[in-house]
Amino acid sequence: MPAGLDNLKHIVVLMMENRSFDHMLGGLSLVMENGRKKYPKINGLTGNESNPDTNGAIVKVQPNAQFQSQLDPDPDHHFPGVDLQIFGGAPQGLGRVANMQGFVKDYFSQTKDVNRSHNIMSYFTPDKLPVLANLATEFALFNGWFSSIPGPTICNRAFAHYGTSFGQVGMDIFYVLDPILSVYERMVQAGHTAKLYYYDQPSSTMEIVNLLKNQPQIFATYDQFIGDCKAGTLPEYSFIEPSYNDHPGPDGGQILASDQHPDHNVREGEQFIANTFNAIRTNPDLWMSTALLIVYDEHGGIYDHVVPPACNPNFPDGKTASADATGTGATFAFDRLGIRVPAILVSPWIPRGTVIPGTEDPANARIFEHASIPATVTNFFLKTYDNRTAREKNAQTFLDLLTDQMRPDDDCIVFDNLS
Amino acid sequence: MAPSRVIFVPKTDPGAYNPNRPAGTLLRSQTMHLHHALSKHVDELAAQLKAARELLAVDAGSIKTEGEVSKYTEKVTAILHPQGAKRSGK
Repeated sequence: MPAGLDNLKHIVVLMMENRSFDHMLGGLSLVMENGRKKYPKINGLTGNESNPDTNGAIVKVQPNAQFQSQLDPDPDHHFPGVDLQIFGGAPQGLGRVANMQGFVKDYFSQTKDVNRSHNIMSYFTPDKLPVLANLATEFALFNGWFSSIPGPTICNRAFAHYGTSFGQVGMDIFYVLDPILSVYERMVQAGHTAKLYYYDQPSSTMEIVNLLKNQPQIFATYDQFIGDCKAGTLPEYSFIEPSYNDHPGPDGGQILASDQHPDHNVREGEQFIANTFNAIRTNPDLWMSTALLIVYDEHGGIYDHVVPPACNPNFPDGKTASADATGTGATFAFDRLGIRVPAILVSPWIPRGTVIPGTEDPANARIFEHASIPATVTNFFLKTYDNRTAREKNAQTFLDLLTDQMRPDDDCIVFDNLS
Repeated sequence: MAPSRVIFVPKTDPGAYNPNRPAGTLLRSQTMHLHHALSKHVDELAAQLKAARELLAVDAGSIKTEGEVSKYTEKVTAILHPQGAKRSGK
């Protein structure tokens, strides 16, 4: 077993909101050094990607993403809207080809403004996102991490907690009816430790309704996460949620939403990611024994150029969503992943510049999705565990990225100027 | 700790704070989910309150036998500590 895995005691997952891979990190592919691409392995943008608008004009991706106010109204990320984004408006049926050409058209349906609809093609230059861009190039970046469903937040987050959304593709209230347990319940029942840290009570959790009420011991707040990092009492598995709304702080100050969901300020999310990283980084024992995954729940309706792959039919989720539930007139057999999202694995046991190939390299592609999270945690801590979907049991896991070599302390970044 | 490469993170524009921003679909959905969870919680609390009032109406001094004590104790403890419901078998 590599030393990185031998030393591993904690897995931490921070799940942010509603930004696509190309929007946040696609600009890394355009960074040049000495006349060559500085990051040739990253499957980002060429600058020529485009979508037609509702007048038929070609709208190219633009390096003009703004921290706030640009993606207002909130882009559509519900199942029918994402279907349009992926298939460009082609009608349901066999032979339909995914072309990622429907983003601008879909955003027009909300903005009712042709010029404003073009904003969906915006992306950040790396200098604007020093936290995410540095983490992506300093540690391991996944070219092929996709949201689990081409749909919205709650059902996608369910895959991160349960390995399935129990047939849900929307935001409706639903209860866990199967005997499938959340990854937290699995861990605790097996004598291990796990916590879901939500930001604070005014922000609360996006977990589905039953867990907060019925398993209160699994939950804690972000302040407790910071305290647990300082005290060395972090559980074996931690899931962190950012602040989902702007609200007054306990001391009369201001707490900004840090989830980066449009139209929340992206910079506040950078601060939050950096704070979470630093909490682990500045405890030497924790730093050498923790793998931190930073991932986004779904793409938020924002452009990405990579066609989401089909799921492996040999390892199904086992559910089907009705035509009424999907809103597209067709059922959905959970046989296609959602759109690509940023995903970065942080550990001093990962060589700088690690890039995990995705669909751009079919021979070596490793396709990840949110079921990879409970799959990784369950496989590592519980070894054998049967009560989960075939899809989760066979999902890609990510701890093999930890090597035998630990990077020295002066080779690893730390963030400064944090709130 | 040995010197590390330090990355400066710009602070957020203070003008970004806006608790009056209209809540998007995610936050409105979260509110509905929490409301639903609370209504289930209240139903359970109401049932517990009814059971508690019935137990309070019992004159504790009238309980004489061990069997009576165990029945009363079980009912009260189930309200005060529902997590203890699982019994160990012998």
